Amino acid sequence: MFSMKKLPSYLTTFLLGLLALVFAFPFYYVFVLATWPSREVLAFPPHFWFGNGLMENWTSLFGRVPFATNFLNSLGIATLSTVSVLFFCTLAGFAFSKYNFKFKKILFSFVIATMAIPGFLNIIPFYKMMVMFGWINTWLPLIVPGMAGAFGIFLMTQFLENALPHELLEAARIDGVGEFAMLWRIVFPLARAGMAVLGVVTFVGSWNNFTGPLILLPDVDATTLPVALSVLNSRVDNNMGALFLGNAMTLLPLLIVFMLFSRQIISGLTAGAVKG
Amino acid sequence: MKRMSFLMVLGLVSATLLTGQVIDPAKSYTVTIGAYGDLEKAYQAVIATDDFKKKFPNVAIKFQTSDFGGHHNRLTTVIAAGEQTNDIEALEVGYIAQFVQAGGLTDLNAAPFNAKKLSKDLVKFSVANATTDNGALIAMPVDIAPAVMFYRDDLAKAAKVDMANLANWDAYIAAMKKLADKSKGIFGIEHPAAVAAIPLNGGKGGWFANGKPLEPKAKFMDALTLVQKVKAAGVDGDLGAWSGPWSQAYLDGKIASIVNGAWFGGTLRTWLSPAAADGTSQWRVAYLPGKMMASLGGTYLSIPQTVPGPRKLVAWEVLKYLTNSPVAQLTTFKAIDAFPALTTVYKDPVMDEPVPYYGGQKVRKIYADVALNIPENKVSEYDAVIGGIWNGAVTDVVNGKATPAAAYDAALKKVIATIQ
Amino acid sequence: MSTTVLAQRKKRMKAQQWAPYVFISPFFILFLVFGVYPIGYSIVSSFFDWKLIGTKPPVFIGFNNYVNILTIDPFFNSAVINTVILLITGSLLQHIIALPLAILLNSKLVKAKELFKTAYFLPYITSTVSVVIIFGNLFDTNFGLVNWILGWFGIEHIRWGSEDYGVKVILSTILNWKFIGWNTVIYLAGLQAIPQEMYEAAEMDGARTFTKHLKITIPQLYPIIFLAVSLSIIGGMQIFEEPFVLTGGYDNMGGPSNSGLTAAYYLMFTAFKAYKIGKGSAIAWLIFVTILGLNAINRAATRKYND
Repeated sequence: MFSMKKLPSYLTTFLLGLLALVFAFPFYYVFVLATWPSREVLAFPPHFWFGNGLMENWTSLFGRVPFATNFLNSLGIATLSTVSVLFFCTLAGFAFSKYNFKFKKILFSFVIATMAIPGFLNIIPFYKMMVMFGWINTWLPLIVPGMAGAFGIFLMTQFLENALPHELLEAARIDGVGEFAMLWRIVFPLARAGMAVLGVVTFVGSWNNFTGPLILLPDVDATTLPVALSVLNSRVDNNMGALFLGNAMTLLPLLIVFMLFSRQIISGLTAGAVKG
Repeated sequence: MKRMSFLMVLGLVSATLLTGQVIDPAKSYTVTIGAYGDLEKAYQAVIATDDFKKKFPNVAIKFQTSDFGGHHNRLTTVIAAGEQTNDIEALEVGYIAQFVQAGGLTDLNAAPFNAKKLSKDLVKFSVANATTDNGALIAMPVDIAPAVMFYRDDLAKAAKVDMANLANWDAYIAAMKKLADKSKGIFGIEHPAAVAAIPLNGGKGGWFANGKPLEPKAKFMDALTLVQKVKAAGVDGDLGAWSGPWSQAYLDGKIASIVNGAWFGGTLRTWLSPAAADGTSQWRVAYLPGKMMASLGGTYLSIPQTVPGPRKLVAWEVLKYLTNSPVAQLTTFKAIDAFPALTTVYKDPVMDEPVPYYGGQKVRKIYADVALNIPENKVSEYDAVIGGIWNGAVTDVVNGKATPAAAYDAALKKVIATIQ
Repeated sequence: MSTTVLAQRKKRMKAQQWAPYVFISPFFILFLVFGVYPIGYSIVSSFFDWKLIGTKPPVFIGFNNYVNILTIDPFFNSAVINTVILLITGSLLQHIIALPLAILLNSKLVKAKELFKTAYFLPYITSTVSVVIIFGNLFDTNFGLVNWILGWFGIEHIRWGSEDYGVKVILSTILNWKFIGWNTVIYLAGLQAIPQEMYEAAEMDGARTFTKHLKITIPQLYPIIFLAVSLSIIGGMQIFEEPFVLTGGYDNMGGPSNSGLTAAYYLMFTAFKAYKIGKGSAIAWLIFVTILGLNAINRAATRKYND
């Protein structure tokens, strides 16, 4: 049933679909390369379809990297980071967007300013501290210091600005709902869209972190996937097929996490109507 | 308690002094090694030898391996923080200069290591590179990269060119003009910049003469002029190293020659140009044009100062074995084509063996000869910056943005601004 | 009776006063524990001639590092210019694409939104190394898809990876490709919070789609636009990994004519390759000040717009 009235809809969907293909392509390409033997990875013209080197890469990957252990480390660190960031940053974002308190503006500017400090060099004194705390080879330095990160606070503050109507909070207060109880009843449920974005970006950031675990988790069994995979990156003993297989297997969990959170980001136009 | 530990130290010291035996057979030890790229593979092979097992029955080796950048980044960070590293840390030659200048690594010439009597058997220039002005040896060379020319015998024969004895770079360029064939897509060399480091002996150090940067000027002008000549000859493929089209060009047999360290033979053999069914290939090895001697790469092993004393002693035994035992050196060579720094093994019969991959050519003799004749390069704390600036000058010449003279002047200006 | 209500209300008021401090306290506690020392270290070291490693004691030199960087250093100025160019072409202009894209994805016009949104977001989770390999192939001089397509129009043989402008084109493409989806996702989440009734009222007034978005969506999204643009500025001014991997690491200092040498790249080079941690710290603080300045402009611009 083709009708002229729906033409704009088809056209838009088609164009967006085209764009989506362009965007998704390199992602697909990683999976294609994961199935080619190492010497074929850089082949030219490039391979666009799956090859027959999967088993070879698999053997090579698992021969060199304790994949399961590293996978669990990555998963544990990323999950705990995400959960704690979501909790603490939503709290702070709630405070900065919906309360009036002394020094609010200055404190908020301070939080944002900390993001503008290039952190690359901080790793040296930070490493010293972690040795002092006895946290080397533990998950703690990769979770605790970032639990209430400035990035997440900024994000949640800006999101909650609109997502939490003042009237709703006032109504709850009149009903005798305490400030903390309000978190569970109103803030967390209505902050879902923002929290979903923050959750995804925190998980991805933690999962792809390379320098942190490289330096803080020197033990092969304590370290995370990206660090373990970097072993495969060498010039003479070309392991690119295995490297891409590792990459592909690293991407899958991220895709799943994104799908999980993603429902919250567009739950459709109806969401707006519930509020107000 | 205090007396106990005193006695233990005394015991350790006396054991070392009296018997030279650091490793107590009744105990078990673990030595950790920080490595990059293929090194772990090579040292794993060494550990698996009977010789190692016999000498170190109670020493376990643990690795922390990462990629090239990651490894050096971690190492500098941990040393900068003044914290404990792995017992042995590998260093690529490009990182040696900074440590020579700044410290942070144990002086292996000092007691109780006294590396001097060992290092006389190692390639001279690489020991000199890692020695400070005060005579401290901050790392031991474990492998080196004598620069040679790899060329395609079939193409050379077809063009009736004797690649094995090129008198100079002009002869090389003339030969490349014959070997390259635009109609067949065959290039003489991958990129003009591939030859840029040769007149500078690899460009790891050697940037100063009499305290002046980029001197002697003639040497640096030679390098830039050579690059310009190769570019002007139109025989290059304009292929960026380690890119897709680059590797494909080798796989398709479109590259006639390449100038690189001996280790590149491993890359050719395992990846870029696998041997035919009979184990041979068309690649051959020759001296650089005009028998120029240069080094393109190399690895050192060090013991950072933050490693606790007793661990240092055990680490030293392992380091000594990896750098000074013929078995370890030859095993490393076989595993990853990293050429031995230990000159005594150059007399080993294996160095005289024909290598099937090169059509039975005795390539290792060439490697060894170059290795013994590589000139010394004095390193300085500014090497990293100057190297970066210099690469910019080379690119400008390749791109026709500047004449060699203009590129040299611009680079010199930047160098002076940077180091003052 | 009334006294208890009053007392209760008073208690509430009190809770309302200290609750926000409790909510924001984790950040400040963590900052005190983990942030103060590293930041202090970096401020202090920026006033010293300080070697990254070794035994040479640091020498106090006042503002010399800063003066050196701003006056005689041959790289810093061009590094900042490179960064700002990439910031505009690679991080800021893309908001003009991301915002309409989010509005489209949020509209009834489009089917299979979930699928599209996921596709647009995929670049964000793909690792830099694979991205660089892929784009290196696309922009290859002799065999790349880009030159192949340009060939149809008679434009031939552009050496993208070897010319200074080419490096910037590749980097901008990578950054756009990587972050458009991310910005779209932020805007999408922001659109969630706009009450549907506002549009319905406008529709009754017969407003056209374009006016509708100009009058309602964009003002309503003000906090999110400010957020997204700020994050682009903060991230864009600290871009390091993409140019570093693309142009071949420390040895090449950003490729042809240092075109890919960003401020953060130069910072890393100075500290971790030239081993001058003091000078590196000074560069870090100059970047910091630049970001604050740009963000102040961003704040002023979005605020003015909001009024």
